[in-house]
This record gives sequence, C-alpha cells and structure tokens, in this order.
Amino acid sequence: MRLLTHNMLKCHVKNCTDPDKQYPLRFKDVQIEQIEYEPNEEFLVRMLPRIDWSALVKTAKDLNIGIPGSMPEDPASDQDFLQKLHTIIMETHITEGSMVCDGCSHEYKITKGIANMLLAEHEI
Amino acid sequence: MREPVADTLEISSAAKEEQYVHAVYNEIATHFSDTRFKPWPVIERYLLALPTGSLGADIGCGNGKYLGVRTGDIFMMGTDRSSSLVEICRSRNHECLISDGLDLPYRNGCFDFAISIAVIHHFSTKERRMDAVRELLRIVRTGGTVLVFVWALEQKGRRKFDENTQDVLVPWAKPNGDVYQRYYHLFRDGELSSLFSEIGGCEIEEAGYDRDNWFVIARKL
Repeated sequence: MRLLTHNMLKCHVKNCTDPDKQYPLRFKDVQIEQIEYEPNEEFLVRMLPRIDWSALVKTAKDLNIGIPGSMPEDPASDQDFLQKLHTIIMETHITEGSMVCDGCSHEYKITKGIANMLLAEHEI
Repeated sequence: MREPVADTLEISSAAKEEQYVHAVYNEIATHFSDTRFKPWPVIERYLLALPTGSLGADIGCGNGKYLGVRTGDIFMMGTDRSSSLVEICRSRNHECLISDGLDLPYRNGCFDFAISIAVIHHFSTKERRMDAVRELLRIVRTGGTVLVFVWALEQKGRRKFDENTQDVLVPWAKPNGDVYQRYYHLFRDGELSSLFSEIGGCEIEEAGYDRDNWFVIARKL
C-alpha cells in the first residue's frame, strides 16, 4: 500500500468521529518496501491539492522518511521537491503491519501489501 | 443450462449478501477473473477522457480490470469486499484494499472521480443501494464525477429475466461443475437515475444502456 493511499484513509468506526484523532491513521510495526515507479511531474503537481500535507509530513516523520516540512512556493518548478514527493507517495509501499486509530484504537491490518479496512458488525 | 430463480430467501439483507455475494465471489474469484478482461467501451471512454492528475476510486473493483486502463498520469485505488479478488489485483501490481461499499474508509471529497461497475445490484434493499451511491458521492469532491453500471432487468443478451421479478439468484458454474448462486437486484429502466435524483446533491450528466447494464454518470454539486 502506497503512502498516497494512506493519505486518503480515515478511521470509519461508528462513533469514532473526532477529526483530529481519526486521521491520519498511525502506522505500527510496519515493513516498508521501495518499488520503482515512472515519475510524471504534471501528475505530481496536480496531486498536491488532493494531499493533506500535514498528515503526510506527520506520517513520513513517524516512518523516519525525510520530507520537506513545508511545501515550496512554486512546487511545479522545484524538481528536487517533486522527486522527493514521488519517492514518498508513489514508491514507498507498506507491505506488512497495521494502521491504528488514535481516537478509538481500532487496528487495521496490512498483509502482503493489502490493507483490510473491514469492520466488525458492532463497529459499523 | 441452469436458469436464474426468484429470490424468496427469508434472511436478513446482510446475511443474504454475505452468503449469496461475498462468499460466492471468494469461491469463484479465479474463474470469474479469467472471464473478465476486456474493458467495456463506455467505461474506457470515461477513463480516457479524465484530465491528467485525476485521482480515482474503483469501488468493487473485482480483478482490477479498470485499474490498469490508464496509468502514469492518473491514479486509481481499488477496493473490493472479496479478499480473493483483492489478492488478484495485488498480484497485478494494482493499488487495492479490502473494504465494504456501504462504509468506505476514505475521507470526504478526496477523489476526483469514482466508478462502481456491476456492484450496486448486489445490495439487497433499496436503502442499501442508496447508501452505496451516497458513499460514492461522499468520497468525490464537489465537481467530481461518479460512474455506476448495474445489471438491467431488460437484458437482450444471452441472459433473459422475467420482467416481473427484480430480485433473483443467478447461477455461476465453475468449470469443475460446481454451481454457486449470486444474488442480484435487476434494475428497471430509469431506476438507477431515480436513485441519484432521490439522493440529490448531484446532476446526471449521462445515462444509458450498454452491455446488458444501465449506467449513470453523475456530477457532484
């Protein structure tokens, strides 16, 4: 699972609604794999408004991945920044471990690169 | 040749979908996947027309046949309820996770588009079908679009259905002879558009019939 995907995920357990805690999900005991992917600068620039930047920074820091603390003023012309962004959101895969909600402590397992986001009946 | 039969099961909607949809897809995943490879033209056209940098979700992505139609300048994430189908997607290097279409794990408005192809007919009450469409509209941004395909009651292809029976069990025969029944709600002409209109907050850009299915493309307002 890519970090781009993780940036879109929030805890969806019923009654877990505190926006400051249900997002982003915190990684726990993860295995990380870098898999090469063809970069596309226009795609990356257009992803920026889709990404929650502070959640991405928090997550990258948790995983000890270097990330610029703030977005450059003109990201489209900052090739160094775009390359870093590409490595982080498109090439960094979480293959094993779990994602934990800081609000309700629900743990979503990741196995062989697949996150299981199903809930138990009482959580829906 | 086994024929579809009317659904007269007296069990809860969730149990029906568990037994007659989820469990069946896990059993037939490989054979199902082997029969699903060619993208349908309306869906391919929709994906190819998206602007560069679009981020999308395929809800009920099956074997991921639409996740690979266009790669590089757009990005799609798949979800499916069947872990066996999600594993097939992963083996093809598609981005995919296990989730329920009634309750998606995505934040509001995070996608430019969402598609759900031949999925919503597996929900066994109108309220659940509406909830599934509501979830698609919830995860796309204002101005984003949603594309839905569902089986038509009025199919003119190899499958024929009784026009008075919308809730049916349709057999799937594996090559080894094992037969599984899948639950379907067959949509009448106009029924899918009505679901979107009743939910509101969107306008229908295109609606039509293609490949034994009714489809709608709606834009979130």
